[in-house]
Amino acid sequence: MNLFTLIKAELKALLSNPVVVLTVFGGVVFYSFLYPLPYSNQTPREQHISVVNLDMSQTSFKLERMVDATPQVKVVRRDHTLEQARDAFMKGDVSGILVIPEHFYKDILLGKSPTLAYAGDASYFLVYGTIVEGLAKAGGTLAAQTKVTKLLLDGQPLSLAADQYAATQLNLKPTFNPRMGYVDYVVPAVFVLILQQTMAMAAGLMVGTQKLGKGYWRKVHPARLLVVRFTLLTVIYYLLSMYYFGASFSLQGVSQLAHASQLLTLLLPFLIASCAIGIWLGSITPRRELVTLVVLVSSMPLVFSAGFIWPVEAIPSPIVWLSQLFPSTPAIQSFLALNQMGAEWSQIRVEYSQLWLQAIVWCLVGYFAYKKSVNLDFRAVRY
Amino acid sequence: MRKQLSSQFSIIRRDKWLLSSLTWLPIALAVMIWAIFSQGIARDLPIGVVNFTPGKLSQQLVRYYDATSTMKVHQQYSSVAQAKDALVSGDIYAYAIIPTQFDTDIYKKLAPQVSVYYNSQMILVGKLLSSAFTQAQGTFNAQLSTISNMAKGDATLLSAMGQAVPVRTQITPLFNKNSNYAQFLVSAIIPALWQIVVVVSTILILAANHRDKGLQPWLSTSPITSVVRTLLPYTLVFALQGFAFLVWFYLGFEWPMNGSFEVILLAQWVTLIACMIMGSLFFFLTLDPARAMSFAGAFTAPSFAFMGITFPVTDMNSLAQWWRDLLPASHYIEVQVSQVSYGHAWYESLRHLTPMLGYALPLLLCIALIHKHLKATQQTALKESA
Repeated sequence: MNLFTLIKAELKALLSNPVVVLTVFGGVVFYSFLYPLPYSNQTPREQHISVVNLDMSQTSFKLERMVDATPQVKVVRRDHTLEQARDAFMKGDVSGILVIPEHFYKDILLGKSPTLAYAGDASYFLVYGTIVEGLAKAGGTLAAQTKVTKLLLDGQPLSLAADQYAATQLNLKPTFNPRMGYVDYVVPAVFVLILQQTMAMAAGLMVGTQKLGKGYWRKVHPARLLVVRFTLLTVIYYLLSMYYFGASFSLQGVSQLAHASQLLTLLLPFLIASCAIGIWLGSITPRRELVTLVVLVSSMPLVFSAGFIWPVEAIPSPIVWLSQLFPSTPAIQSFLALNQMGAEWSQIRVEYSQLWLQAIVWCLVGYFAYKKSVNLDFRAVRY
Repeated sequence: MRKQLSSQFSIIRRDKWLLSSLTWLPIALAVMIWAIFSQGIARDLPIGVVNFTPGKLSQQLVRYYDATSTMKVHQQYSSVAQAKDALVSGDIYAYAIIPTQFDTDIYKKLAPQVSVYYNSQMILVGKLLSSAFTQAQGTFNAQLSTISNMAKGDATLLSAMGQAVPVRTQITPLFNKNSNYAQFLVSAIIPALWQIVVVVSTILILAANHRDKGLQPWLSTSPITSVVRTLLPYTLVFALQGFAFLVWFYLGFEWPMNGSFEVILLAQWVTLIACMIMGSLFFFLTLDPARAMSFAGAFTAPSFAFMGITFPVTDMNSLAQWWRDLLPASHYIEVQVSQVSYGHAWYESLRHLTPMLGYALPLLLCIALIHKHLKATQQTALKESA
């Protein structure tokens, strides 16, 4: 069998296999729309809260208006007692409560620093965080205004008072994801994992499909066959990756700071390693649907241990070591660094070498497993 | 029934993969997910400091940063470029720049500005850091103004503090007092995983029976009852898995639980039946387990994102909400939260399950598909014999 006919046969086997086509093209395109879907609003806004104003002074009404004016929260009801607010909260009408204590205004003037109480529903951290952020912002502004007023009363000029209400100023700058958007946070990382998982499935399903039959794959040397298969899948996945990192990112408005050549270079070891994992899985599993099963259940541990959701420093080291065996972990970290944080190539060199090391080791593992499975199969029972 | 049980036992005994996905695999996955978040609270995240004024006050501010539970000053850099490189390569999650003449400016009341750049690519870490910095800076400022108020000599400590901090705040995270991420995430990820396990195992069970017995002998006489009989013993296994994670969370970890186990268990039964219907539908669509598994993957894999625990449902667009409604786990999690957090009455919680009546549709579809496949195999058998 010459090289050209082998390539043609492989391509035909790939494209005429409905499961592989469904996974590769259907899966990749479907996920590219499905994953960003829940986050399309980027950040939660206008969370509903209730205000319990026990003070009823002008200052406390001003605070209510200031709270309502923040983008994070919206005052949807006013309650006279904490119990009423609690009931509304339990019914799900509001997800946060602000309590302005009695004598709030008087205590401010007396310098007794009254306490504003906020509560939010921490069953949903993002909701809670948003509410607290909005309330803290309004509360802080009120505190600053109070101080400025006092300084003015003490006889300080306004321009000085406006600067001096705090001893130091803090200028907090969100870096790399300036809009603090959820799409920008989840999509660039999860897409890398999708590429790995669907590619592993595709390679594994091809091996699994051919396992029970007789065909061209039995007539060529496994190494030769695998080289052709790797090349074909890598070329296809290069195209799909270009769609992800190009068109799809542009559509979602995710930043693309890296140069295309850097992304393409980084993709090579990543795709080879992912493909090799698929070959290995296809060879060691007795039936092809089990490849999908293994890939499917591994997704969640892989995504949560990759270090972009939960800091690596907080993950137990055995799990970190385990996650370092799979290409998605260094790939997610280095793609994020290059494309989202604008890193130089030299800053991801370690991850890049790690990916090549993985590619080599996984290729060897995949090759030997495949060779063994091809020799075994004729004798194997259907289980 | 006994015959049915023993035949299923022999199938499981031969199919080690099915046995694994019913027993140790879900346990191993759950433990692994829990282990990832087991620390619960992100502590001592490395940050950097670029200090252009190595003076007493700036050192004090750095110590304040270091003293927060969230942050740890990992390194002091001599230039902004170095700190930026460290931020990009992931050595630190944030850096603060303390300007020149920081100390003198404070004494002169010129309110020097500290700039903090934090990595918001990782939103969770970014939010934690931004509130930790605000907190540390607030404490630092309050201390400085209290001291300067005291220095004037006409104030007691209390009134000096009152002047420094005109309004105090008390923030209460309801239902999760420690803001514990393990409790927050694991209690939602595990149900999502459980959904995957149920759907996937259902496909494996049906595939094993199909492979073992053949479609005609397995289903030709009263097909619906046969499928139900085949799947019935496994409902107990899935229910046991569900029960196990509840016991683990609320009795093992003693996470707060304000509702009743019975209501959640009932919701779990409804959920697992819905999941099994979906699994059966995927299998009977083509009778090809590989294709069924691909459908199951596309259906269940992103379910955690749609559950509305990390990102609120109210901020999802209608298309996202529609897809969310298709997933059994998202209805289940509503019941779980409404019981565990809010302690609602049972009828209010179970109201969240009413959309699940919609799974009657895939069920009908499934029945139609079984009949179609039976007819098709009968015809081919007839043709072969003819």
